[in-house]
Amino acid sequence: MDSEDDMHDANDIESLDDDFYSGETEDAPLDYYSDYDDEADDYFEDADESDKIKSRRPEQNFTILRESDIEQRQEDDITRVSTVLYISRVDASILLRHYNWNVSQVHEAWFADEERVRKTVGLLDKPVVEFPNARELTCGICFENYPCSRIESAACGHPYCISCWEGYIGTSINDGPGCLMLRCPDPSCGAAVGQNMISLLASDEDKKKYSRYLLRSYIEDNKKTKWCPAPGCEYAVTFDAGNGNYDVSCLCSYCFCWNCTEEAHRPVDCGTVAKWILKNSAESENMNWILANSKPCPKCKRPIEKNQGCMHMTCTPPCKFEFCWLCLGAWSDHGERTGGFYACNRYEAAKQEGVYDESERRREMAKNSLERYTHYYERWASNQSSRQKALADLHQMQTVHIEKLSDTQCQPESQLKFITEAWLQIVECRRVLKWTYAYGYYLPEHEHAKKQFFEYLQGEAESGLERLHQCAEKELQQYLSADGPSKEFNDFRTKLAGLTSVTRNYFENLVRALENGLSDVDSNGAASSKATSSKNGAGSSKGRGGRGKGTSRINKMTDDSSWSCEHCTYANGASVNTCQMCRQQRR
Amino acid sequence: MANSNLPRRIIKETQRLLSEPAPGISASPSEDNMRYFNVMILGPTQSPYEGGVFKLELFLPEEYPMAAPKLGRICLDILKDKWSPALQIRTVLLSIQALLSAPNPDDPLSENIAKHWKSNEAEAVETAKEWTRLYASGA
Repeated sequence: MDSEDDMHDANDIESLDDDFYSGETEDAPLDYYSDYDDEADDYFEDADESDKIKSRRPEQNFTILRESDIEQRQEDDITRVSTVLYISRVDASILLRHYNWNVSQVHEAWFADEERVRKTVGLLDKPVVEFPNARELTCGICFENYPCSRIESAACGHPYCISCWEGYIGTSINDGPGCLMLRCPDPSCGAAVGQNMISLLASDEDKKKYSRYLLRSYIEDNKKTKWCPAPGCEYAVTFDAGNGNYDVSCLCSYCFCWNCTEEAHRPVDCGTVAKWILKNSAESENMNWILANSKPCPKCKRPIEKNQGCMHMTCTPPCKFEFCWLCLGAWSDHGERTGGFYACNRYEAAKQEGVYDESERRREMAKNSLERYTHYYERWASNQSSRQKALADLHQMQTVHIEKLSDTQCQPESQLKFITEAWLQIVECRRVLKWTYAYGYYLPEHEHAKKQFFEYLQGEAESGLERLHQCAEKELQQYLSADGPSKEFNDFRTKLAGLTSVTRNYFENLVRALENGLSDVDSNGAASSKATSSKNGAGSSKGRGGRGKGTSRINKMTDDSSWSCEHCTYANGASVNTCQMCRQQRR
Repeated sequence: MANSNLPRRIIKETQRLLSEPAPGISASPSEDNMRYFNVMILGPTQSPYEGGVFKLELFLPEEYPMAAPKLGRICLDILKDKWSPALQIRTVLLSIQALLSAPNPDDPLSENIAKHWKSNEAEAVETAKEWTRLYASGA
């Protein structure tokens, strides 16, 4: 890209020393883009207003819940419903489970029509059958007679012996979370079997499973809560819809997207991420098998393998959605007029309109563009591993180096926070950069202007990050290995803190620009002139000798000792002679 | 040996099936495996299957009655997720008999026959009668 030459401009590097490292902090964000040109100013229109930057930094609209918090909330909700409706806690729990733990929905439904709610949920207020004077009763499952003390019933009164109840409840619990909606064994009876029966009749192991399912249900059935998707993490998150920012960072340090529960992926949208991830795994046998043999449940999205004869599918509890295997529509929409189950007309019609063929054709095309994909994938993956490395370095920094540095440089650890912050920023930038490759992959080929501008921004981001990474890694080294305090250490602090701040701003702007779909770029090619004018603009700004504090920020991000790979444009650190991205030799 | 510790419930069910058979249904356990039943269902009167005798095999798995009986490929909810241990062999067979009286072409085993049934019921009924005569008339 020809815009690179202004990036390496010597004047700009100088101006960096003049005003950039003079101790600006994040409270006074740098006017980072003002030197691009006027159009670039418009592009990131309010980059120079610190309060706006702050407001853009995500407000925390989520809360992390530990297991004890979850139990507490669940108990509180049960108490509320139990108190307001004047019903037992067991019944309140059944009701809440049925209404996906939505307290206000329970209240609403109950006060609208208590009878109906009782009937659907199975909360009987009096027994259906009664044997007031019986000394012995016949179990409805094993047909044996038992003294009444060996017989148990749900609220309906249908008598079953204790060992049949144990079998019934045990089977249900081991079948999965559907046991939370257990009913009386009598097929004509809908009486709910609640936790009181479970406590009485299940084995200790099964009781534990049941409580686990109940806890999981509180998180999984509730629209406002989810588990943290990190492996082994047992925290949950409750989320309040707000500013459209879905990023959540869990106490376990994993950052993920609330909306799609994939790893946090701003600036790329969830749909692109899903496509990309599917694509990445498409090569694996496993995925091929899932694609060929299963379809996701149209409601809960779990993959379903069809192993019975007819097209009438019923998802496993708790989902239980009934749908047509062919068109994936609700089974309730099927019947006479849609051609029934086997020759679903909806499917046939859609197939004729090319809907299904289209997706198959796309799959074909994707295969053909494997080469193009590999280009983006390698860069995506290498930023991913870079990020892992940075995470490890951050950890090393926090556990070992900071303490050591505090000793040698005679600085309190609180004064060394800028180093941790720099590394945290590197980790975050690697994440963003990684996702820009998925973004680039899906940027339509024909939108040349956007593509060009995107690649320019991406290239800048890469070189900026490289500079920060280099400073935090290499330049820090001399202070780590020093025997005593260095007088340059304060300069180093200013430099690294400044780089951190400038890189953060650049990436935040980049994220917003990409989230807006590079909307300022006219898809008909007007932006190619924009990209050019950007270059001219930068050129003229140095002619003007700099405009205010923010002059030529972007250019400062590239150190003259780093080099851009001629082959792939990746900005490499000075210490390497082979491109970190494409393995080409430096020329 | 499968028969040695047969649950009382299965023994009782078997006794009742033999002593008070449901009309048009016979189910008798195999001699060497009491969990294995040979079933015959008569085609219900006023259905295309009238006069036919339909043979089935029914097997009670180890978990029975907590798990449903195994009965070949029949699309019947009580054999799948709607099974309850309070149901019995008898109720299952009665449900199958009812299915013969009112076939559900929306949940068939054979696509072609269901298609035929829906496009031209009268003709499909004739075929059913014909096939009942040819393949299910006792012997």
